[in-house]
Amino acid sequence: MTCRKIMHSTATIALFTALSASPSLAHEQSGVGGGLASGLLHPLTGLDHLVAMVAVGIWGAQLGGAAIWVLPIVFPLVMAFGAVLGILHIGLPVPELVIALSGLILGLAVALRVRVPFAAAAGIIAIFAIFHGHAHGAELPGSANPLAYGCGFVVATGLLHACGITIGALARWPGGERIIQGVGAAIAALGGYFLVASLGVAA
Amino acid sequence: MSGWRALILVLLALAAPLLARPAAAHQATLAVLEFREMRPGMYIGRWTTLPKDGENRIELKMPAHCFLRLPELNCGDKGLVGQMTIANLGEDLSAAIIRVTSLDGETKSYTISAANPVVTVLGTGAPTLQTWLELARTYVNLGIDHILLGADHLLFVLGLIWIVKGGWRLFQTITAFTVGHSVSLAATAFGWIGVPEAPLNACIALSIVFVGVEIVKQQRGEIGLTARYPWVVAVSFGLVHGIGFASALAGLGLERRILPAALLFFNVGVEIGQILFVMLVLALIWAHRRLGAVIPSWGAELPAYAIGSVSMFWFLGRLVRVLAAA
Amino acid sequence: MNTRLRTAFLASLVLLTHSQIADAHIVSARLGDFYAGALHPLMTLQDVLIWAALGLLAGSISAASGRWLVLVFPLGLCAGLALAAHAGLGTPSPLIDAATILVLGLLLVAALRIPVALLCLIAFALGVMRGAVNAGELLPQTDRLLYAAGLASAGYVVITLVMALALSFRRPETAAVSSWRGIAVRAVGGWVAAIGLMMAGLSLAP
Repeated sequence: MTCRKIMHSTATIALFTALSASPSLAHEQSGVGGGLASGLLHPLTGLDHLVAMVAVGIWGAQLGGAAIWVLPIVFPLVMAFGAVLGILHIGLPVPELVIALSGLILGLAVALRVRVPFAAAAGIIAIFAIFHGHAHGAELPGSANPLAYGCGFVVATGLLHACGITIGALARWPGGERIIQGVGAAIAALGGYFLVASLGVAA
Repeated sequence: MSGWRALILVLLALAAPLLARPAAAHQATLAVLEFREMRPGMYIGRWTTLPKDGENRIELKMPAHCFLRLPELNCGDKGLVGQMTIANLGEDLSAAIIRVTSLDGETKSYTISAANPVVTVLGTGAPTLQTWLELARTYVNLGIDHILLGADHLLFVLGLIWIVKGGWRLFQTITAFTVGHSVSLAATAFGWIGVPEAPLNACIALSIVFVGVEIVKQQRGEIGLTARYPWVVAVSFGLVHGIGFASALAGLGLERRILPAALLFFNVGVEIGQILFVMLVLALIWAHRRLGAVIPSWGAELPAYAIGSVSMFWFLGRLVRVLAAA
Repeated sequence: MNTRLRTAFLASLVLLTHSQIADAHIVSARLGDFYAGALHPLMTLQDVLIWAALGLLAGSISAASGRWLVLVFPLGLCAGLALAAHAGLGTPSPLIDAATILVLGLLLVAALRIPVALLCLIAFALGVMRGAVNAGELLPQTDRLLYAAGLASAGYVVITLVMALALSFRRPETAAVSSWRGIAVRAVGGWVAAIGLMMAGLSLAP
């Protein structure tokens, strides 16, 4: 059985290698690699985005029930909607402030185990998702290969989200709850720092 | 089991145009340019095999200190040392070979391909690491190309996979095929054996006919030679196919000194291509089983007959060529 | 960790590393028109995305409906290629590409049980569309038959493998849509739809 599994894995990898070992120079999409990489890295390099995405995942897992599965499915769509606003240059009020605020609020919600009705949580997260998406989307048209950038960006966000859900699942173990609250507190602290920084810039 | 049949039928249907004209697919678009040293540093060059769309379209660049106006190449006191490039390899030309014969009568060959557009001429002296790397890149690529474009070799491997099915026995069989073709490839390349190309190609086609017949036998419940001793069949036909692989190396006029290495790298390339193909086929067989995408029982023998007819068609076509030459 | 997840992860890693090496080669010169036809769509992100999403959609419904696509999709590709080569269809706008991706993503999110006939129709239509787009790469000296065979082979291989992988992962015969496997597939659908939405926005941008 294991042998067969290994064989399948090897076969798949070999296939991908075969498919990918091939040339793309003769092609208009020579920027695919670069676009993917920059899209993947963009959400990972901005610490304010990164912590907020992870916090969304943790909070969703904490709320449980419908939140666990609605969030990962709908969140990318709402974020993409925000990105479209960014692409179309439809401005949002005080974006830096809201993004910094999102880290603070989501971090606090996780640390204090705030339980709100699902609709309210969804509303809060949706607003933050639109702002985060807006920030990423504004960079999209300038990238060498927008489609590759978009793929990378969505995948990175989804993976961060999954990270958050995994951290949220720690609650099953004794003491896990503590760790989660600690992580939440750290996120809130970072959010607070970014908030102060953005206010300082604004002032 | 009918997952296999469905797979092979689909593969054959898709690859039919490829199978129908292997000659076209195999026709290497190769150009050969020869330089002969007349005085120290002074060469006379000519195309012995012209590029398909004329010599004037080839952008040949010689080392900067050389002055090239065909048929004359003047490199002065330094001699022909440095980088040679063909800038516009592409659509119509897949590789070019530059053969340089120095005053003392020694001939060296350099292969320029799209994957390897620059070659470095070292002059006299021992080959460096750089030379080995370039050699490896060129010949591994050549090997992969050769197996992936050789529809007859791939069809034979497909037949073997079909009869042996998978697992440890398949590994043994494929290894046996590899051993067989490596031995005869080496023997041919070193000139120990020589087989005229036309009858050999007919033999290769015949080997696939044999596999097709074995598949039909197996479906009727008879245990054929291939099912009983797959590795014997694999080794013996591997020997035949290996001589065929050698034909790809034959025209390159390789230096005696680098022939063993070139042979090794070429063989490695062939193995890589072969393993990729086997992996792909196994993955597809698994996928067909998982999807239950099988052909109904009335069509069960169709793929075997398809393999048989295609290879018989090749065999007859190649036989006609043998007889025409005789 | 699930073996297939690991496989997928490794495969994507390999894909990433290879995107670097890839620039060193030129397909058309070395591998003939068959490989040109097979590799062109695999090098185009729109094709990869749409084909993979279609395979995921079919594979997450059931084996019974998915198996028809093994034939229908490559046939669609050939039909589209033939149509574009003879009638000279113009390349579709980026908005249509984006809308296709968006709709496929939303279908995945909705986890609808699409009837077999409709699924085949969708697959054929997508095949015709992508086949027509890939005809843009045909040069006068290209061997049309070989190119079409390559394109159809690529379509067949990708759709068959993705469907089988999706089927093995999702297990629609035993697991409900609300199991974590079902949710994972729908989440991927959400990602696909998000990409489509962004591309639509981009194509509408001034």
